[in-house]
Amino acid sequence: MLDSVRVFEYGAVFDALDIGVIVIDERRCIVGWNDWIARVSGCARDAALGRAIGDVFPTISDTRLPAVIEDSFQFGSSSILTHSLNALLPLHGEGGAELLHNIIVRPISSNLANFCLLQVNDLTVSVARERVLRERQNARYHAIVDFAPDAIITTDMDRRIQWVNGAAERVFGFAPEELLGKQIDVLLEDAGALVAAVTGDKPKEGERTFQVTGRRKRGAAASFEVSLARWKADERSFVTTIWRDVTERRAADFALRESEGRHRALSEALPQLVWTSGADGGCDYFNPQWEDYTGAPTQRHLGSGWLDVFHELDRVGLAAAWTASVARGTVFDSDARLRAANGSFRWFKMRSIPVRTADGTITKWFGTATEITELIEARDSLLRSNEELEARVVERTREREVVLAQLYESQKMESIGQLTGGVAHDFNNLLAVILGSLSLLKKGLPDDPRTSRLLEGAIQGAERGATLTKRLLAFARRQELKLEAVSVQKLVPDILDFLRQSVGPNIAVVIDTLPDVALVKIDANQFELALINLAVNARDAMPNGGTLTITCRNKPANELQEAPAPLPRSDYVRISISDTGEGMNEATLAKAMEPFFTTKGVGKGTGLGLSMVQGLTVQSGGAMQISSAPGKGTVVTLWLPQARTEDLAQPSATLSTQGIDDACRKLRILLVDDDALVSMNSAYMLMDLGHSVLEASSAARALELMESDAQFDVMVTDYAMPKMNGLDLASRIRRIKPKLPIVLATGYAELPPSTMISFQRLAKPFTQKELAEALEAALNAGN
Amino acid sequence: MTIDVSALSEIEQDVIAEIANMGVSRAANGLRQMVGHEVLLSVPAVNVVTREAAARLVERGGSSKLVAVQQSFEGPFSGRALLIFPAAQSLELVRSIVGDEHSLEDIIDLEHEALAETGNVILNACLATIANVLRQTMRMSLPTVVRGDGDKLFGVQSDPAEGNLVLFLYIDFTVKNREIRGFIALLLDLPAVAALKVIVRDFVAGIEQQAEGHVG
Repeated sequence: MLDSVRVFEYGAVFDALDIGVIVIDERRCIVGWNDWIARVSGCARDAALGRAIGDVFPTISDTRLPAVIEDSFQFGSSSILTHSLNALLPLHGEGGAELLHNIIVRPISSNLANFCLLQVNDLTVSVARERVLRERQNARYHAIVDFAPDAIITTDMDRRIQWVNGAAERVFGFAPEELLGKQIDVLLEDAGALVAAVTGDKPKEGERTFQVTGRRKRGAAASFEVSLARWKADERSFVTTIWRDVTERRAADFALRESEGRHRALSEALPQLVWTSGADGGCDYFNPQWEDYTGAPTQRHLGSGWLDVFHELDRVGLAAAWTASVARGTVFDSDARLRAANGSFRWFKMRSIPVRTADGTITKWFGTATEITELIEARDSLLRSNEELEARVVERTREREVVLAQLYESQKMESIGQLTGGVAHDFNNLLAVILGSLSLLKKGLPDDPRTSRLLEGAIQGAERGATLTKRLLAFARRQELKLEAVSVQKLVPDILDFLRQSVGPNIAVVIDTLPDVALVKIDANQFELALINLAVNARDAMPNGGTLTITCRNKPANELQEAPAPLPRSDYVRISISDTGEGMNEATLAKAMEPFFTTKGVGKGTGLGLSMVQGLTVQSGGAMQISSAPGKGTVVTLWLPQARTEDLAQPSATLSTQGIDDACRKLRILLVDDDALVSMNSAYMLMDLGHSVLEASSAARALELMESDAQFDVMVTDYAMPKMNGLDLASRIRRIKPKLPIVLATGYAELPPSTMISFQRLAKPFTQKELAEALEAALNAGN
Repeated sequence: MTIDVSALSEIEQDVIAEIANMGVSRAANGLRQMVGHEVLLSVPAVNVVTREAAARLVERGGSSKLVAVQQSFEGPFSGRALLIFPAAQSLELVRSIVGDEHSLEDIIDLEHEALAETGNVILNACLATIANVLRQTMRMSLPTVVRGDGDKLFGVQSDPAEGNLVLFLYIDFTVKNREIRGFIALLLDLPAVAALKVIVRDFVAGIEQQAEGHVG
C-alpha cells in the first residue's frame, strides 16, 4: 500500500507557492528562498542563499524586521509587519510596479534546529481594488461634502472627531489636524443634547436636527443647526454631523425678537395708552394700560371695536379722522373723550403714526392715547377768562370813556372857571377904580340934579357890573364866601315873600321843612341868592303856573345813598327845589350846569344861574344834583354840610358901628398895590377919609418903607402881587410889628383855604365906605 | 486552586508591574521605530483577577464595545494574551500610529491590520520580556483582532479548563500627546499561574541578592 503512495516532495510546493518564502537559520543566513521571492526581488536563489537578509535588502536596517527576526529566534515570537505601517522590502511585480506586501515572521523548528520563516504576501491587487473602489466612491462623496457650505464632521461613538470636510475649517477656523481625535465638545459652547445624541446608547434612527451654540477657534460663539446621522462601517458606528451656520439668521431672529421685546416693554412702560393697528387700520394690540383704563378686555376693542369706548359725540369724528389717516397714510391726531372703567370720560389725545418698510409701504400703525383732560380744562378756562377779560376791557373802556368825558367836562369847566375868574378879577379892579372915582367925584361935585342923576346912573351901572363879577366868581368858585352857620328853616321863611314876588302869582310856593333841620355851613347872602336863582329858573319852567316846593331834610352820614358820588362822608342837610314844569330832556339836562347855557331867550338871562349855585355848593363843601325828565318837572337838590359847633361859635361878621370915631382920626397908612390905577384910587379914598397915605408899588418896597423910621398906623395891601404876595408881606410885617393893623384886599378866593387868615380882609371892588369899615375893623382887632 | 494562589502580595504586584513596564518599554521602542515618533507606554497597575472580574473591569469605562488583539502562547506555561481597548478608542489608537494624514476611510481600512500589528508589537514585547526573565522559549501565535464585550473577550462562558485567572495590567499609551488607556490581560492556566509565582519569587530573590551585593 505504501508503495503505491508516492512520497510527496514538499520542495515542489515551496517553489510553487504564490507567496514569498524566506527561511533564515540561526546563523541569520538565508537558507530558503523560493521562486516567487526570487522573481519579485530580482535576486536569484543562488545569489541569496547563505547571505544575511540585510545584505540582500540593505534598506531593512531602517525597519523593525531585523529586530523581529531576532525576537523570533530568541523568544519564539511571531510578528506581522504590514505595508501600511512599515516600509518593507523593495519588491516589484511583473510590470515593474511596486509590490505592496505584508511580512509574517514566525519561528519554526526542523530537526532540532531553529529557523525563522518569513512569508511575504502580495497585497497589490487587493489594495488596488480597494483603492479604486474607494476612489470612485470618494469622488462622488467628496464632490458633495467638500463643496458643501456646511461643516461636515464625523465622529465615533466616543464623539472623537474622525473626519472633517473643508468647510469645517472655514466655519470653525480649526485646521483638520487640530480637530481630528479631539472630542466634538471643543466645537460646542455647551455639550448638551448633541453630545447625548451622538453618544446615546439607543440612537434614534434617521436624521435628527439640533439647535446648538458652537464655538469657533477664536472663541466666538456661533449658532448652528446640526443634522445628525449615524452609520456603521465594519461593526463600528459613526455619527456624521452637518453644521449649518445660522449665526446670522439667529442674530437677525434675536434682533427681531429683541426689537419686538423692546417695543413691547416700551409700550408697556409708557404711562400713555398704547395701541397698534394693521395697515388696514384694524387695531391688533393694546397695552395693559389701555385695559386698566377702560376696564374692558382688549379683545373687545380689536379691529374697530375701540370706537365703542369713546364718547358718542366724538365717535363719528374720530372714526372719520382715523379712516382718512389710514387712507392717506398721514399722521392721525385727534382729541376725544375716552370712557374709563368707572364710566367717567376723560379727554385723550389719540395719535398714531404709520410704520413703513424701506419702500414706503405701511405695515403697521403705532398709536398712543395721552390724557389731556387737564390741558383741555386749562384751555377752556383760558377761553373763559379771555372772554371775561374782554368783557372787563369793554366795561373798563366804557368807564374810561365816561371818566374821560367827565374829565373833559371838568377840564372845560376848569378852563372856563380860570378864564372867568381872571376876567372877573381884572374887571373887578376896574370897577373898583370906577366906583371909587365916581363916589369921590360925587362928593366933590356941586349938588346939580342932572349931574347927580348921571352920576347915580354911572354908580348903579358899576355896581351891577360888580354884582355880575360876583356871580362869575361864584361860578368859578373863587368868590369870597363868608361861611357861617345858617338856619335854613329860619332863612327860607325870611325870603319867602321875596320868592313869591319873584315867581309871580301863578305859582304856589310850598315850604316843606322840619323843625329839627340842622344848621348848614354856608354864606347866607349867597345862599339866598342861590335860592332866588333856582326859584326864577323854576318859574321860567312853569310859564302856565304850577307849584314850587322847597324841601329840607337832615341827611346824616349814614343816609347818603342818594348823594352824588364824590361827596365826603359827613352829615348834610338836603334842600330840594322842585317844580311841576315842563322838565328837560337828557341833552338839555347834560348842559344845564354849563355856564352861559340858557334855555331862555336872548337877553332874558345870563346863563350863570345854575352855574353859580353849583359853584356855591361845591365851594361850601356840598354838592348839587339835577334830575329832570320831559313833563316830569325838575328837581334841583342841594347837599349842604351841617354846621359844626365851632362854626356856631364864629359869629357872623357883623358890621360894628363902634369905632367910627377912630376912623375919623387921622391915620398914617401904608398902601401897597402893584396896580398904579387901583393904588391911586385907593389912596384918594383914604385921603378923602382924612388919612395920610404912603404908596408902595411892591411888597419889597413896602418892607423897605416899614424898616425905615416911618411910622404907620395901618397897612392896606393888595393880595395879588408879583414876587411876594400880600399875605406873605402881611405875615412878615406881623413878625416885625405884631401890633400893626393890616387890611388884606383880595379880589377873589385865591387865598389857600387851609391858611388861617388873621388879617382883616377887604373884598374888591370896594367902596369908600367898605374901605372905612375894613380899616375900622382892623384897628379894633388890633386893640 | 486556592485563593492564596490568586492573591499577589504587594511586592509581587510591584514586581509584575516592573516586568510589564520592561515589556512595554521594549514595545515602545518597536513602535517608535515603526511610526517614526515617540511612543510612551506605561503600566501603572497590575492585579490578578478572575475572568468575570476582568470582564467587568474592561467594561468599567462605560462601553461594553471592546476591541482586542489576541495572541496565544505555549511553552513552560500556556495561555492567551489580550490587548484590549474600548472600541471607540481603537480608531484613535490607529490614527495616532498611522498619522493624521489618512482619511477616515483609510483609517477604517487600515484599522484591522494596524491594530493587529500594534497589538502584536506590544504583546510580543511583554511576552518576550516574561520569557526572557524566565530564560525560557515560548512559542507565540500571530495576532488576531477580536471584537465584543468583556464576557466574549475573556471567554466567560467557555471551558473553565482554560483557567480562571487573569493577570490584569492597565496600560497607558501616550502618542503625539494623545492618551489612550487600555488593558493587557494574560489568561493563564493553573500551571502558568504557579509558574508565574515562581518566576516572581525568583525575581524577588534575584533583586534581594543584588541588594546584598552579589552580581545579578
